[in-house]
Amino acid sequence: MNRSAIVFLICITLILAPGSSVANPGGNGDGDRDYSCGGSCHGDPALSMPSDATIEITTGNEAFSGQAVAIHVTIEDISTPSNIIGIFILGSLNGNSDTPEDHGWHLIQDPNGGSSNYIETKAPSSGSVTVTWVLLSPANSGSHSLYAEIHHGSYAGDKAYSGVSEKFEVIVQDVPEGLPGLANDWIAPSFRVSGDSSLLSISTRNSTDISVEWMLDGEWNPTSVESVCIEETEDFCNDWEVSIPATMGEANILYRVTTYNGTFAVEQPWLKMGTAPPPFEGDVWSARAHSFAFALLIISFLVTLQARLYPSIERDILDQTQIVASSEMIRSEENPGWLWNPESQEWIEDPEYNGGDE
Amino acid sequence: MMVGAATFHTAMAEIVVGSMVLATLCAIGCSISRIIPTSEINNESLMVTMDRASLAGSVLALIFLPIAILSGNIAADGQAESALLYNKFVYSGLALGFWSAFVIGRIRMGPGLWEERPLAFLQSATAGIAFLMTSMASSIGGKLVRGESLFDVLPFWLPSETASILPLWASFSLLTLGITSSALVFKFTLPKIVRIE
Repeated sequence: MNRSAIVFLICITLILAPGSSVANPGGNGDGDRDYSCGGSCHGDPALSMPSDATIEITTGNEAFSGQAVAIHVTIEDISTPSNIIGIFILGSLNGNSDTPEDHGWHLIQDPNGGSSNYIETKAPSSGSVTVTWVLLSPANSGSHSLYAEIHHGSYAGDKAYSGVSEKFEVIVQDVPEGLPGLANDWIAPSFRVSGDSSLLSISTRNSTDISVEWMLDGEWNPTSVESVCIEETEDFCNDWEVSIPATMGEANILYRVTTYNGTFAVEQPWLKMGTAPPPFEGDVWSARAHSFAFALLIISFLVTLQARLYPSIERDILDQTQIVASSEMIRSEENPGWLWNPESQEWIEDPEYNGGDE
Repeated sequence: MMVGAATFHTAMAEIVVGSMVLATLCAIGCSISRIIPTSEINNESLMVTMDRASLAGSVLALIFLPIAILSGNIAADGQAESALLYNKFVYSGLALGFWSAFVIGRIRMGPGLWEERPLAFLQSATAGIAFLMTSMASSIGGKLVRGESLFDVLPFWLPSETASILPLWASFSLLTLGITSSALVFKFTLPKIVRIE
């Protein structure tokens, strides 16, 4: 095989190599996004294909206006080579202003512990996954629509597979007078730093008491904890603190708040809180100094090594004619054939000396 | 018309990495060329071409490397908020050190350094390690922005997600040591290295 053919084959291999890793196979991160990422290539029919997965939305509890409601999205029969699946919860399918927040909902918590309408999660080998968003229902009662959309990679590697659920109607009922619930402006904390056992603040409304139970993700028996009222008004207490045990490593803790108004109780959806690693304590000036110190030390070390490996013998056998010619040598009458080098303070053989013969 | 520091940094990093690929391949090629017997392909003309290409690539990279580091500093918004970012600073410094030593050696000793086997080995090893350091710094950039890197497919990975953080005083002590040692080396050692004919 000649050289041109080898070069050609290498070029073709390099061009085809990234074919299996188009788009963002590592995901694009959670965030607030519209249907089909607001008209990105995933919405282009030439670049996308319908997913064969089935998508279903269910609610975890009755929806009252301004009250928390759990929205479960179940995806079945999904197959994706990257094992990453992107899931949206949407208020419409217009391609803009589609997030539930745009339609009067308020996101308290997404399935990953944040408060985004788009999340990425691992698709299990069974091909089925259920994720839960906790939202505050819109303030106006009546019928409100929700959709779930998914997108994921494909084995072919050149298409984005996407699917959207049927319209799901949530009937939001008028809130009964004095119904206790979570405060509209309260956002459940996504994470706590590993080992942090500080008290968790919970804001409620119309509540005279709350009870909180917790369990580790994957467990089934919740444990109750005591809650402390921080600021009591005339009839209600809407600011609470509870002590939920610290978590370590990658543990997720689930907790559920039950709000009371007298003897009337409303059980809120389960909320999830992850464990974040301790904050990084590096200083940027330390990093800069560290970096330049290494640069200078490496230069010093390698230049020294170059000098060490430098062929020193070469200098000894050099013809000294050039040195003699370029120096101000002193010719001595007393030592014919020798020149005095005042710089190095030594006698050097005169290359021009011909034994006294003119 | 303005571009963001992160975009500018990416462009500079691409120039640096591209030039360094050329410099590294040619430096290693120069060493190999001196080990294997002379043939129709492995001739003096190829040697001269590879030597000049490695010098041109490394000089170009060395010009753009400080620009890439500075733009990266601006893009990081004066924060070293993660071990990845801290390590990106450290690997950039290591890359700068190795490439500077490569260029100093080649300029001081001339193309004759490839005739001396220990020096040729040192020079190509320097280029190889320098390229590894540069690739690590670039890969960390990919990890930070896209969450993935070309190094993910390799079975090994230099430490990047945990950092050995030095306190400020220790970093500046190390910097002082670096400045002192390089001043001594430039004053006393460097003049001994002259062109090899």
